[in-house]
Amino acid sequence: MHSTIVRGQNVFGFFTTVCFAVAALIAASDLLAPRTPRATVAANAVQVVKGRPHYYSTKKEEYAIIRFTMNADFSSLFTWNTKQVFVYVSASWPNSTSSELTNEAVIWDTIITNPSADHLQNIGPAAMKKGRIDLKNVKPKYQITAPSGKLQETDDVVLKVHYNVQPWVGILTWTPQIEFGKWKKLKGGMSKAFKIPAIKKKDTPKKA
Amino acid sequence: MLSTLQNPRQAAAQLLNFGLILSTAFMMWKGLSVLADSPSPIVVVLSGSMEPAFQRGDLLFLWNRNFFEETKVGEIVVYNVKGKDIPIVHRLVRKFGVGDDAKLLTKGDNNVADDTELYARGQDYIERKDIIGSVVAYIPFVGYVTILLSEHPWLKTVMLGIMGLVVVLQRE
Repeated sequence: MHSTIVRGQNVFGFFTTVCFAVAALIAASDLLAPRTPRATVAANAVQVVKGRPHYYSTKKEEYAIIRFTMNADFSSLFTWNTKQVFVYVSASWPNSTSSELTNEAVIWDTIITNPSADHLQNIGPAAMKKGRIDLKNVKPKYQITAPSGKLQETDDVVLKVHYNVQPWVGILTWTPQIEFGKWKKLKGGMSKAFKIPAIKKKDTPKKA
Repeated sequence: MLSTLQNPRQAAAQLLNFGLILSTAFMMWKGLSVLADSPSPIVVVLSGSMEPAFQRGDLLFLWNRNFFEETKVGEIVVYNVKGKDIPIVHRLVRKFGVGDDAKLLTKGDNNVADDTELYARGQDYIERKDIIGSVVAYIPFVGYVTILLSEHPWLKTVMLGIMGLVVVLQRE
């Protein structure tokens, strides 16, 4: 009953219980912090080029390069339990058979680490600190294609801004679809529908 | 010493106790598995491809049911690739189509390229059935002990030895 092993076990058991209780309280404190993010996004020039998925492939696919402008404020997402916020911009478009946005592809993303987590890698530019993003007519990080390899002259494409909050401990959260307590929906964050143009015909053949 | 060996009733009780602990842990694991509809509801991060979100040894809780909406772009999923036995934790970056036939593409936050190279030969996309769960909750560092055990197998022997000694030597 009072052997060293039993005492050690008790101390360790109590230690882990306290650790988990504190972690649970910290995780629950997320619900108390209001979240009021906002974002605006708009597509600029859209270009379609032909390319191969990788160097040795013989398949030619169409790649859309969607330049875009984005202004967003995610500063309210940063609390003491925020490890990072993953912000991503996706392009969605419907199938030929339905009007639902059945296809979605990420064209740009960034990781905003909490200022208190700056010892971590992948720190964005200083301007992106504290969750403010201001991008003007930037190139997308990812050129997108479709499984069919066809993407030119696609109608009703929209850009959407999303975020994913990664806590130090607790529940991961994404852009909410409904208001939830103090967590508001993302204000704005969707572009007007636009059309992906046809592949540009080469007017002047380049010299070899 | 070894007095327990001379007392079969006590030895049996201890054996039962040990079995009870093991079976409780097993039941909890399987119960969670049924609840989350995932063969492996808790996973340990083994690589740095999702840094800085997840580091090696972090514990992830998975959920594999689609009550309100389909698994969508941006979610962090754990998936299996045919012919590889280690599941991969990466983020969904593309989705074409809806339902079970939707073609899904994943990418690690810390990787430059998407996962096409990691998939089976000739496979360009994964499907919903390849996914064993989406990450819903996170506890840092707790799973590191399993990495230690798998990287230094002698630790297992040492731990089993200590546990055996404790069981035998404990007087009550």
